[in-house]
Amino acid sequence: MPKIACVIPAYNEARNIVRVITEVRPFVDDIIVVDDCSTDDTFALAQTAGAQVLRHPINRGQGAALETGNTYALDHNADIIIHFDGDGQFLASEIHDMVAPLLSDSADIVFGSRFLGKKANLPFAKKYLIYPLATVFTRYILGIKLSDPQNGFRALNRRAAEIIKIANRGMAHASEIQTKTFKNKLRVAEVPITVIYHHFGQRLSGGFRIMRDLLIHKIIK
Amino acid sequence: MLQQIIALVIIIFFVTRLFKQKTKQEIGLNEFRLWLIFWSIAAVAIIFIKQLDYLVVRLGFSGSGINFLIYLAVLALFYLVFRLRLELAKTDRQLTELTREITLRPKK
Repeated sequence: MPKIACVIPAYNEARNIVRVITEVRPFVDDIIVVDDCSTDDTFALAQTAGAQVLRHPINRGQGAALETGNTYALDHNADIIIHFDGDGQFLASEIHDMVAPLLSDSADIVFGSRFLGKKANLPFAKKYLIYPLATVFTRYILGIKLSDPQNGFRALNRRAAEIIKIANRGMAHASEIQTKTFKNKLRVAEVPITVIYHHFGQRLSGGFRIMRDLLIHKIIK
Repeated sequence: MLQQIIALVIIIFFVTRLFKQKTKQEIGLNEFRLWLIFWSIAAVAIIFIKQLDYLVVRLGFSGSGINFLIYLAVLALFYLVFRLRLELAKTDRQLTELTREITLRPKK
C-alpha cells in the first residue's frame, strides 16, 4: 500500500490541533505538523497527540511550513502527501475522496474545491466579491482553469511533490502550486469538499498581497 | 551633447555590470530582462532627448530642464525602492531556506 503522509501547517492552533490530529489519524500513515513558531502550546499539544512535529525557529508563513513538511515527508518515503489545514475547517473523512484519483493513478495532484456542490458556508463577501476576483486573476492572468482558486486541501503524489517546490512563504503558495501544476503538465483532478468557516480568513487586501508576492517571486526566480 | 554622452557611458557601465551578473548567475533570467529593458528605455530616452522634451511640453509639463530633472529624480527613486524591494524578497527567501534547514537538520 502507498504510504500516505498528512502535512498540517499550524500557527497558534492550540485550540484545534489535537482534534485535527485525532480526526486525521485513521486516514493516513504519518501526520507531520509543522509548527510555524507558535506562541501558544501548539507544539507540545501536537506532540502529545502523537504527530511528528517540526518547529520553525521563526515564523515564516503557511507556504514555508508546507514546503518544510513536503521535504520531510519525501525524505521519509511518503508516496502521497496531503495538505490539510490545522484550524479544523476541513473534514478528515474527505481525505479518502482526495487520495482516490492518486491511488487509481488518474492524477498527479488533487485539488479540493468548494464550488463543486458540497457544503461550504462561505462568507457573503468572499462568495460574491473576493473569489470572483481571484478566479478572474488565476484564470486569465495565470492561465489556471480550476474551480477553486484558493484552497488549502490538496493531495500530491510523490512525483508532483518533487516537482513543485513552494517558493512563496505566505498565502500566495496556493496560486503558485496551481501555476506550477499546469506549467509542468501534471495530471489534475478536482474533488468537491466541505469547508466549515470558523473565521473570515483571507480578505481583499490579502488577495492584493498574493498578487504582489507572485509578481515579485516571478521576477527574482 | 556632452551630458548625453556622459549619461550613455553611465548606462553602458550598468549594462556591462548587468551582463557580468548574469554570466556569474548572480541574477535570474527574469531579473536580467527587467533591468535590460529598464536601461534600454533610459538609453533611448537620452538619445532622443529633444523629441522627449517636445513630448514633455505637449503633455502639459513645463519644458524647463530643471523640472525634467526632478521628474527623472523621482523615477530614479522609484527604481531604487523597487530594487530594494527585490533584494529584500531575495533575502527573505534565503531566510526561509535557512529556517527550513535548521528545522529539518536534527530530524533527517
